Amino acid sequence: MARVELNVQAPDFKLDDFNGKSVSLSDYKNKKNVMVVFNRGFF
Amino acid sequence: MAQLRQDYEKFVKLDTEIIVAGPEKAEAFKDYWAKENLPFIGLPDPEHLVLKLYGQEVKIFKLGRMPAQMLIDKSGKVRFVHYGHSMSDIPENKELLDLLETQMS
Repeated sequence: MARVELNVQAPDFKLDDFNGKSVSLSDYKNKKNVMVVFNRGFF
Repeated sequence: MAQLRQDYEKFVKLDTEIIVAGPEKAEAFKDYWAKENLPFIGLPDPEHLVLKLYGQEVKIFKLGRMPAQMLIDKSGKVRFVHYGHSMSDIPENKELLDLLETQMS
């Protein structure tokens, strides 16, 4: 089940959050660490 | 999610933003965030753009239906990835916080 490639550059993404505010990974570059959680559904 | 919310401040202190992406639409996110009072960024991804992007480019996402977590450092590199083998297979916050504190701050 090895699918991990550590220490590679994460591909940038850009999507709107649920309030319509644009969020991209590059917004955080050199500013913050980011934890991305892929959720499979809330319900 | 409740587990993450509990420790959110600890992640913030370690200069870390939490982004939760999921297949629901914005309205479902909004309702859920309000109901659970979640502080994270919620990213509706009904077309699975981010999921596909990561599946294709980094080959880290097996397009299954399990949760996954990923830590990206300030230089944009992937430093931690976890794939759940079940819906409840989620790494302990402590493991994530330790990594952030010792290697990413």
